[in-house]
Amino acid sequence: MLNGCRVLDLTTERGLLCGQMLGDLGADVIKVEPPGGSAVRALKPFFADETGPERSVYWWAYNRNKRGITLNLETSEGRDLLRKLAAKADLLIESDNPGHLSTYGLGYSDLSAINPALVYVSITPFGQDGPKATYADSDLIVMAASGVLILYGDEDRAPIRMSVPQAYLHAGADAAGAALIAYYDRLNTGLGQQVDVAAQESLGLAQQSTLLSATIGGDETRRMAGGVKMGPIRVPLVWEAKDGLVTCVFLFGSALGVFTRKLMNYICEQGFCDQATRDKDWLAYGDLLLTGREPIEEYDRAKGVVAAFLRSMTKAESFDLARQHGFLIAPLATIDDVLSNPQFIAREYWQTIEDRDLGLKLTYPGPFARFSATPISYRRRPPRVGEHNREIYLDELGLSDRELGDLVRQGVI
Amino acid sequence: MAARLPLSDVKVLDFMWVLAGPGITRSMADYGATVIRIESTNRVDPTRTVGPFKDNNTGAEYSALYGNNNAGKLGLSLDLTKPEARAVVLDLVRWADVVTESFSPKAMRAWGFDYESLRAVRPDIIMLSSCLMGQTGPLARFAGFGNLAAALCGFYNLVGWPDRSPSGPYSAYTDYIAPRFGLAAMMAALIHRKRTGQGQYIDQAQAESALQFLALPILDTVASGRKYSPIANDDLEHAPHGIYPAGGEDRWVAIACRTDGHWNALCTTIGQPQLADDPRFGTFAARREHQAELDRVIGEWTRLRTPLETEQMLQASGVPAHTVQDSHDANHDPQLRHRDHFVRVNHAVAGETFVENSRFKLSRTPADVSRASPAIGQHSQHIFEKILGYSDDRISELVAGGVLG
Repeated sequence: MLNGCRVLDLTTERGLLCGQMLGDLGADVIKVEPPGGSAVRALKPFFADETGPERSVYWWAYNRNKRGITLNLETSEGRDLLRKLAAKADLLIESDNPGHLSTYGLGYSDLSAINPALVYVSITPFGQDGPKATYADSDLIVMAASGVLILYGDEDRAPIRMSVPQAYLHAGADAAGAALIAYYDRLNTGLGQQVDVAAQESLGLAQQSTLLSATIGGDETRRMAGGVKMGPIRVPLVWEAKDGLVTCVFLFGSALGVFTRKLMNYICEQGFCDQATRDKDWLAYGDLLLTGREPIEEYDRAKGVVAAFLRSMTKAESFDLARQHGFLIAPLATIDDVLSNPQFIAREYWQTIEDRDLGLKLTYPGPFARFSATPISYRRRPPRVGEHNREIYLDELGLSDRELGDLVRQGVI
Repeated sequence: MAARLPLSDVKVLDFMWVLAGPGITRSMADYGATVIRIESTNRVDPTRTVGPFKDNNTGAEYSALYGNNNAGKLGLSLDLTKPEARAVVLDLVRWADVVTESFSPKAMRAWGFDYESLRAVRPDIIMLSSCLMGQTGPLARFAGFGNLAAALCGFYNLVGWPDRSPSGPYSAYTDYIAPRFGLAAMMAALIHRKRTGQGQYIDQAQAESALQFLALPILDTVASGRKYSPIANDDLEHAPHGIYPAGGEDRWVAIACRTDGHWNALCTTIGQPQLADDPRFGTFAARREHQAELDRVIGEWTRLRTPLETEQMLQASGVPAHTVQDSHDANHDPQLRHRDHFVRVNHAVAGETFVENSRFKLSRTPADVSRASPAIGQHSQHIFEKILGYSDDRISELVAGGVLG
C-alpha cells in the first residue's frame, strides 16, 4: 500500500512501533542505528537469557519489516550522510528529546530546507515544547502523568502499571496514523510538515474520557481491585470462576442494562436468585443507586448473586454460555491461552519469521488489520546491526566501495 | 489563514458506535473529513449512557465519553428497519469515499450494507469493519466490549500484585488501542486509493490490533518458554522504580531510576547522600534486589511532601518523577494547558462542555477541534437538504414515514 514510500526510522524504544506499522503497510523502512547497534538491543529480556545485540526480545518485538543501517550522528560525516538520506526520504521518525537533533543540524527546519516534502515525525514523552518538554521520563512516569495510573490497581495499595511497558506503544501507534495523515496531505500539496506526538496526550485515549471529569463537573473515577469505582458505585470486572478468573460486565443504563437483564433472567432460571432480584429495573439501576432510591447494600447483594453464579462454573463453561446467550463474560487468558485460542488459529493470525542464525522461528502477532486488496505481509525479520549498509550506501546512495571503507574506518558507519 | 486540512477531500459515512470505532472517525473529522454519523433510532449508542457526565446529568446528550469520541461529526438518526432508510443510506454511499462500521459481523449484511452490496453502488468505496474478534472464525459473533477482548488477549493477567489476584487494566483496554491501528489502516487505504483508484475492504479485529502491544511477551513465551505474570511496579531496567505515597488522600508520586546518575541524584535530593555509597545499593542489580528497603526509605521522604513538590525537586535534579495525576490534576497540568489538551466546545443540548484535543499535532495543518458531538439527529435536515439535495417533498415524506425515528 505504501510501496515506494521511504521512511528513515531514528527512534529509540520510544517510537519503534511507528516504523514497524509503516513497514507492515508496505513502506521501505530503514532503521538507522549508531555503530554497534541501537541501545534497544541491550534491553531485557534476552532470548534464553543470553545477552547479545541480536538476542533482545525487545528489539525483535518492534523491528520486523525494516532494513537496518548504522550511522554515527556524532560525526559531521555521519550528519552529512543522514542529510543525503533525508533528501530522498518521504518520512523521518525520531524520538529524541526535543531539540536534540537540532543541535546536530538535523531538526525539522534543517531537513525541510533540504527536502520540503519531508514528513518529520517526533515522538516524545510530553511534546516538543512546554514547561515539561525537558522532563526526564520512563513508561511509569508517562503513565502517571497521563491519568492512566490512578485507575489501575487495588484501592488499598499504590496504583500499579501493566507489567509489560505500554506508554510508548500507544504513542508509536498514534504516530503512524498521524504520519499517514501528513503523508496523504503531501500527496495533495507536495508539502511536508512536522508531526508532534506526546505520549502523555496519546494516553488520554486509554482512560475512556475520564480525564475530562474535572472540566465538566463529573465524578472522579478511581481504581478498585479488579474493577472501577464511579462515585459511590463499585463496578467489579474480575470475578472468580471454579478454576480461575473471568471478566463479566454487570452494568446498567438503556444499552448495557439490557445485557444485565438477560443475564439475570438466566441466573434466576438456574435458581440463584428470586424473581424480585431478577426483576429489578436494570436499565434505570444506575440512577436508582445514585439518587439513593436503591440502597448500595442491595446492589452489593445482587453482585453476590452474580458472583455465586459465576463461581459455580469453570471459565470454559461460563464462556460457552456467554457465546450461546450473548452474555458479556470471558475468561482471563494467559499468554499460553492466547496462543492456543481457536479464533486466532482459525484466522491464521500467528505469523512466523525464520531467523536462520538463531535457528529459530520468531512468532509474531499477525496483521493488525486484514486488507482485501493489499494484505499486510511479514517480509523481513528484524535487521542485524548494519545488515543493509552495503545495499543502501552503495547501491542506493551511490557511495563507492572505497568511500564506504573509509567511513567504516573513521567510525562513521 | 489556516492551511486547508489534510482530509478535507474525504467523505465518511460512519456507522461506528460504542468505543473502539468512533475514535477513528473522530480523528478523521479533526483533520477535515466530513463525517456523517448514523445513529439507529432503535439502539442508542451505549456510550451515551456511560460517564463521565456533564454535571453528573445522565441524560443521553450529557455523556462526555460520547462527546469526546464524536466531536466534529454530523449526526443523522435513521430507523434502519424502514425500507425508505435503505434508500437514504445508498444515496449516502454514493456520496461517500469511506464507510465505517463496528457492529457485530451479521448486522451490516442483514441490512444489505455488506461490502459487496456497497461496492455495487460505489466501486471504489473503502469499507472498514471493526469488531471484537474479526469477521470470520469461531468467535466472529462473540460480541461485546473491550474488557472482554482485553481478557481474551491476556491483558488482564498482566496487571496486579504478585501476592493477589490480577486486577486488570482499567476497563475496556483493547478499545483504547484499536482506534490507533484503525486510523493507520484507513489512511493507508486512502493513500492506496488516491494512487491507484482502487478501494477495498478492511476487516479489523480489535483483539488482533491490540495484541501488537503484547508482541514482546508473545515472542518471549514462544522462543524462551518464559511465563508472564503480574509484577506490580517492578521493572527489568529501572530500580528504584515505583509509586510512592505522598501527603493527602490517595495521593502518589512515580519515581523511576534507570542510571547510576539518577540514583545518585535521588540520594542527594532526599538528603541521604550516604545511600549512594551503600554497597547494598551500589549497582542496578543490588538496587533491584533491595528494592523493598529502598521503597521504605524513599516513601518516608515522599509522604512528607505533596506529589508536586517531589516531582519538581526530583525533576530539577534530572530524576524521572511525576505526580500520579487524576482528572483534577490534569486539568491544572501546565503541560496539558500549554498544549491545549482540553478544548471548550458548545453542544446543541448540553451547552458549553469539553473534549480532548487531537492526540497529535501537525505543524502546517493543525487539527480543527471546534465542534461538539452531534445531538441525536441534529444534522438530519442539513444532510438531506445540502448534502443529498433532497426536495422539501422528499424530506417531508421521510419525516412522515417515521424514517428519522
